[in-house]
Amino acid sequence: MVPEQRKKEILDGIRNAVVQYDEDQCVSWCMTSLQEGLDAYETTMKGLAAGMDTVGELYTRQEYFVPELLLCSDALYAGLNILRPHIRPDHAASKGKLLLGVVEGDIHDIGKNLVKTMFEASGWQVVDLGKDVKLDRFVEEQKKIKADLVGLSALMTTSMMAIEKAVAMLKAADPGVKVLVGGAPLNSEIAANFGADGYAEDAVSAVQEAGRMIKKQPV
Amino acid sequence: MARFRQDGLTEKERFEALLHRQPLDRVPFYLWELSFAAVTVGYPKVTTFADPAKSFEAFRRTHEMYDGWHYIYFTPGAIGVREFGGEAKLPTGEYAQAATPVKSIVQSEEDAWNLALPDVKTAGAIPLVMEFAKLQGKHGFPITFSSGSILKVVQNLTGAETMCRWMMKKPKALHRLCRLVADFHIAVAQYLVDSFDRPERIIPLTAAPTESNQVISPKFFREFSLPYQKDVYEKMLAMGVKHINTHICGEQNLNLPYWAEIPMGDPGIVSVGHEVDLETASKVFPDHILVGNVEPAVIQTGTPEQVYELCRICIEKGKQHPGGFALAPGCELPPMAPPYNVWMMRKAINDFGWYE
Repeated sequence: MVPEQRKKEILDGIRNAVVQYDEDQCVSWCMTSLQEGLDAYETTMKGLAAGMDTVGELYTRQEYFVPELLLCSDALYAGLNILRPHIRPDHAASKGKLLLGVVEGDIHDIGKNLVKTMFEASGWQVVDLGKDVKLDRFVEEQKKIKADLVGLSALMTTSMMAIEKAVAMLKAADPGVKVLVGGAPLNSEIAANFGADGYAEDAVSAVQEAGRMIKKQPV
Repeated sequence: MARFRQDGLTEKERFEALLHRQPLDRVPFYLWELSFAAVTVGYPKVTTFADPAKSFEAFRRTHEMYDGWHYIYFTPGAIGVREFGGEAKLPTGEYAQAATPVKSIVQSEEDAWNLALPDVKTAGAIPLVMEFAKLQGKHGFPITFSSGSILKVVQNLTGAETMCRWMMKKPKALHRLCRLVADFHIAVAQYLVDSFDRPERIIPLTAAPTESNQVISPKFFREFSLPYQKDVYEKMLAMGVKHINTHICGEQNLNLPYWAEIPMGDPGIVSVGHEVDLETASKVFPDHILVGNVEPAVIQTGTPEQVYELCRICIEKGKQHPGGFALAPGCELPPMAPPYNVWMMRKAINDFGWYE
């Protein structure tokens, strides 16, 4: 049993390493946590994920921007690589499954990649189809994996119109599917007009919106 | 058919009056279109990036249709990519809008240090830029070229994520690329200036999406963009260029004080995205011509009444700007924008844009 004070020291170390985008420190603290017998799942959630929560707050307050987010994300994944193999199967169940991609005609994927990071940090399983994804591929993949949410993004006013079509195709294949959309040209009104179930302005709010959308689902 | 009030000036006269700080009859309509022009006349979008002659024709006809401002420009897209030896994919699909790099030509620090300034006369798509510029010169338009901001071109070379990571982890290599891109812009400008008899006819355009605070902090703008952009502009002005057109793209409220440090000519032309309020921009750039800033997504997806109302708001704010104002979308006019919505922009100018 790890003494509470030591446990707090380790988790704080991991959290701070993520916030301060210090990959080496993050790896070192995660290895320490395993060596000293901390539960890998608890370390992930209270160390790495908690750190990413703080990063999200800093981004919202415009203290962090995309470069900082990317390096924090690097530190997060470095830590996850250490901890993941040690997470017990009964803790491996995720908060939900997200099918994610940038729609056809658009290669701008930096925002989508940050969305992926924030969801993974929050305990979601993410199936990332990448960028410039043909619309029927979203439908095919959703049929296969039955994700709780499908996340679509676009950065251009032309590719934005592919979102409308993709939402219609997804809903035609499965009227119950929940679609979350985002990207610079969109706003909540456009998202609603496109038939999407949710809209997020950025990667941080996307996780919060996803939480709301999942709660809204009928049991 | 709707009838508009009789203009007191031609588009050319109106544009020149703005540059000379003279009174106007009404607010000009800066269409800020690229592929919208090609689509309007029945060409595929890719024409905009690949065929200067057809692109020029499309611009002229589209401007004739909407009374467009006397300023058009050509961009081959993915600026810097082909010029520095890479490959760009032109937008051919239904939902594609911009030319994009096929892969990043700078993938390592070594690549960054080894990349050399090309001969701009023959590099990549610069011959297409020159072909378009000659058409502009022949037909009495300002000679323009779209140079892309410092960080936009660096992003084209490295990819966005690498560029962002290098800001923090490999700043020296990134500074090296910023310097190289600045030298590239200066060399292209010099080539244009040397090719035409009067440098004051040249009005370069810089569009700066990567500098947006949706991507980088004002701190990084100050470190990686400001000094190089300033150097490029100072050198262009020293060549005899009188006016530079700058599109401050996206959410850049935190960067505005730094943009204000950059000389843009007398007057410069500053366009802002819908994320920057025109009244704010007016305070920051009181002496420059202000352009903007109807939200492009609303032009694409909104009702005609929504577009008209946004235009009214923009016009009423913009008309107060002491440096002069042109109504425009907040970024490129969506290529597939409903023509009626675009016409509503012109109608709003007729209804609210008169000065007397």
